[in-house]
Amino acid sequence: MTAATTGVVRTSRFDWAALVAAFAPFVVALIVGAILLAATGRNPLAVYGLMLREGFGGESRIAATLTAATPILFTAIATAISFRAGIFNVGVEGVFSLGGLAGAVAGFTLTALPSPLLILAELAVGALVGALWLAAPALLRARLEVDEVVSTLMLNFVAVNLTLYLVNGPFLAPGSANSATPMIAEAGWLPRIAPPSTLSLAFVMALVFLALYALWDRLTPLGFEARLNGLNPRFSRAIGIDAPRLILKVMIISGAIGGLAGSAHALGVTHRFVVGFSPGYGWTGLAVALMGRNSAIGMLLGAIVFGALASAGTTVQLFSDIPLEIVDVLQGVVTIFAVVRFGRLLRGRRAA
Amino acid sequence: MIDNVLAAAALLTTPILLAAIGGLINRLGGIVNLGLEGMMLTGAYVALAASSATQSWPVALLAALIAGGVVGYLFSLAVTRLQANEIVAGVGLNVATAGLIGFILKDYYHSSGTIRLPDVVMLPRIVIPGMAQIPIVGAILSGKDPLTWLSWALVPITAFVLSRTRAGLRLRAAGAAPEAARALGLDPLAIRDASTAVAGALAGLAGAQLSIGVVGVFSVGISGGRAFIALAAFYFGRNRPGLTAAGAALFGLFDAIQIYLQGRGVAPELMQMLPYIVVLVVLTAIGLAERRRRLLQGA
Amino acid sequence: MVKPAVRIGARGVTRRFGAVIANHAIDFAAAPGEIRGLVGGNGAGKTTLMRILQGLEQPDEGAVILNDEPVRLADPADAFARGVGMVHQEFMLVEDLTLLENLILGREPAGPGGVIDRERALAEALRLAASAGVDLDWRLRVSEAPVHVRQILEILRLLYRGADVLILDEPTAVLAPQQVRDLLNLLRRLRDEGRTILFISHKLDEVLTVCDAITVLRAGKVVASTIPAEANIGRLAELMVGEAIEFPRRLAQARSSDGPALSLRGVRALDSRGVERLAGIDLDIAPGEIVGLAGVSGSGQDEIVAVITGLRRAIAGRVTIAGRDATALSIAARRSAGLGYISADRAHEGLCLAETIAANVIAGRHRAKPFARRGLLWPKTIRTYANKALARFAVVYRDCQEAARTLSGGNQQRVVIARELDRNPRVLIAAQPTRGVDIAGAAFIHRQILAFAAEGGAVLLVSEEIEELLALADRILVLYRGAVIGEVAGADRSVGRIGRMMLGEAA
Repeated sequence: MTAATTGVVRTSRFDWAALVAAFAPFVVALIVGAILLAATGRNPLAVYGLMLREGFGGESRIAATLTAATPILFTAIATAISFRAGIFNVGVEGVFSLGGLAGAVAGFTLTALPSPLLILAELAVGALVGALWLAAPALLRARLEVDEVVSTLMLNFVAVNLTLYLVNGPFLAPGSANSATPMIAEAGWLPRIAPPSTLSLAFVMALVFLALYALWDRLTPLGFEARLNGLNPRFSRAIGIDAPRLILKVMIISGAIGGLAGSAHALGVTHRFVVGFSPGYGWTGLAVALMGRNSAIGMLLGAIVFGALASAGTTVQLFSDIPLEIVDVLQGVVTIFAVVRFGRLLRGRRAA
Repeated sequence: MIDNVLAAAALLTTPILLAAIGGLINRLGGIVNLGLEGMMLTGAYVALAASSATQSWPVALLAALIAGGVVGYLFSLAVTRLQANEIVAGVGLNVATAGLIGFILKDYYHSSGTIRLPDVVMLPRIVIPGMAQIPIVGAILSGKDPLTWLSWALVPITAFVLSRTRAGLRLRAAGAAPEAARALGLDPLAIRDASTAVAGALAGLAGAQLSIGVVGVFSVGISGGRAFIALAAFYFGRNRPGLTAAGAALFGLFDAIQIYLQGRGVAPELMQMLPYIVVLVVLTAIGLAERRRRLLQGA
Repeated sequence: MVKPAVRIGARGVTRRFGAVIANHAIDFAAAPGEIRGLVGGNGAGKTTLMRILQGLEQPDEGAVILNDEPVRLADPADAFARGVGMVHQEFMLVEDLTLLENLILGREPAGPGGVIDRERALAEALRLAASAGVDLDWRLRVSEAPVHVRQILEILRLLYRGADVLILDEPTAVLAPQQVRDLLNLLRRLRDEGRTILFISHKLDEVLTVCDAITVLRAGKVVASTIPAEANIGRLAELMVGEAIEFPRRLAQARSSDGPALSLRGVRALDSRGVERLAGIDLDIAPGEIVGLAGVSGSGQDEIVAVITGLRRAIAGRVTIAGRDATALSIAARRSAGLGYISADRAHEGLCLAETIAANVIAGRHRAKPFARRGLLWPKTIRTYANKALARFAVVYRDCQEAARTLSGGNQQRVVIARELDRNPRVLIAAQPTRGVDIAGAAFIHRQILAFAAEGGAVLLVSEEIEELLALADRILVLYRGAVIGEVAGADRSVGRIGRMMLGEAA
């Protein structure tokens, strides 16, 4: 998953072949979707045209797409950081919900704080909760060699149930029946950057983190170590890199960004924590990180495409008789084929 | 009260156990299957539709088994032949199957969640005369559907097949050392695909138990994450059929207790966390034991 | 059926890879019931020939001969169907299965429903083992079986599956001397039963002991075919190497009066399975001194290297590097204390092949100035420095931003040496420093090691090539079963003496 051969000190040269490969899953998904649409008596091209318009047609639609892309971009970055180091961390999904809940709780309890401070506090709480949460599987992996795939996967289910419990119990909005926290104080909302759309400062934050990620990846000693450990752990150990510490650092950063992603989503979009807060953003981010081969530009493109799918889906159903679920089919198929190597089919079945 | 909980636990264990055995077989073949949930959902829908169409529960089961197996096989091809990442592909499969079935529900049945179909024949209850009167055992065994019996029969059968038959030996070899298996003229990828098809078929049956075994309706949320509990069960069992079954039964019991305690002051979500926490505890304990061994050896 | 004159052989086999001729008109012929030795150094063409005999490669010209007939082997399965089986250096066993399960895998005797007939399988296993004169615990898991048992299992499996031509690639590399004797006896037995064995090795003493005939390869060609009665080690070695290579010889250096640069006291260590591999090692290397470490592989060399570099912790004893107690230090701290390390496993431990050459040169110092300043890496500085270091060690490369895997084996090793020596360490651990490197490259590496010692560096040289140890080391310690069994230095450094010690004869 981290088999990039580009080097740490390489700063230019774009890998076009990788870009083409990264978009192949979308082509497959569109074909599968076209078959489904055609089989149910619809014109696939017309539907896709409609979706394209709903995804990118005009300022407000673009803003909606970018709003939907924001949490995906965040979770992709959080995931890619650990993938770089060869840690197959699938725990960002759970961290996203926890961070969202933590940010929301801060947002309706610390209401005495002035706006910028409140926002900072909310984001910080989300990041902190995320960092602590992923420190646990990191320690299990670093000290006890517990497979991080299993531990982070299991922790996702713990996290989801934990947030469900908290939002139905201690943090349930008084008088509310629909499993949601009270609203965050308006001073704690992230400002909208393109009113009247819901696009908020969270998107800008995601772009800043993407830039920081690219910088981290290419130009920091920790990113250098992560890459070496991901590509060749034995070599990395032999030249003196302390893998347990590296794993811990990387997972804490991943958790912090994942938690921050959740609180930014709560602050910018939902303005509270509600059941179904994450429709699988962590998993989509994981697919985007894989698809983008952990590169900043690849992840940005992937997040925007998934964002467009999500934002188009919700409105396409309103204006036509096409069930919203077509979007899930497309998303799911893209995810299945996220890292597929179609080249293998052409070259025949060579022994792996 | 205890009888009620145990009777419910036995029923709730069945889909978990079926999927867990499937997951175990798949894992031994070399694939961690997160797509079981989607295969279970497929089985649940197909069983209900087939039962309604044919008014025959055996046909419905066969249809669910085949549907789950086909979905499993296709999933496996993506993983083994195109080198899709099994974890993320499994998640994607769940999204895609839920989307597809939701699409069909809306487009064909004009329903946005739950469907009831006419003339559905449910799985029969097997009543053994006198058994219901035996304490505890009666509650667990009496009046259960054939799939529940099948799921428990599969535990020793799976153990036997894995350890004593040609298929089991080749499966273990293909999963643990594909290169060695290939060098001996076996086709590890084909073996892997077959194991995923089996896992999918069992998950399909698990789904059938949910739709035509218990309630007689289908909803898009019917599988409710049971395949993930099954996953926890096979991680708990660490490739051993008996231990995996014990995990499935334990988690089924948690589920029954959780339902029983609803409205009695215990939050269901906390109970639902338990299977995953149990797995984490087990893994940590194993890790600690291994670490002690390694420290003694200076690794 | 009439016995063929040639059970397996090659006639005019030529195989080219681009401009390189890996095999050039190779001829050889092995009769039924013959052990044929195929010897040659690195790059002699043994591997290519083996792959052709297995059907993994097709010859560009010529043909493989089986039972007197030229044949075309499509793949290993095809070769196997014609009775040709091979034991690779990397065993093809399933660790989690028992010996018996591994034996029958793919050819299981089974009854109805595919239920394995264990009685029949076990009876067959016992019969095979008896005929081969070995005794195995068939219920043991392979993961718990010692290496010589695995080897025997590989051979028995070929027999079980019906092979009567066995190709063995360096079969003794992993064995202790007694196990080598047992294996050679096993091979003789198999030969006496009419099987044909191709014995590929660079251990000339073994080849001379066990083979009926020997084919010597050099630079892709057959340079001689002979029989043991007409050959000796010296003659074979000359044939293998060609004209005598001038390795830089070294005059004993005057020892510094300072304390040792590297010192081990009472070091004990276990392997990953918990078996004791080092039974109390004492070792001192003075500044400017080169100490060689000889021994049959598996005698504890790997563990000594691992304990010094910090890759493995000793369970007892002390390691001192440049006067500093390093026993509890991390790998990184040992390196900053002045330790350099050339790994025997270049592809997995010596280099990160997927990374750039420049990154490989500075790896380990990526947190130090001038490469990292103000928390950031400075690519231009790194490149400039890397280019300088690569030039100093005469690495042939195009661009230091290309992946290290684009380099040839010899140049890859030079990158390792550039990284390790350019830091000016006090102690260098050189494990198999010329493995897989051509002769000119090896000579270059030798000169670097000598130059390092001449400037006062201490070197621990671990090598399977006794000639290399003789050429470079001031003294040679011989390991046997995890202990130093003897030391040779000065005039009494002879191959024979070292060889006897390696087999356990005390000095």
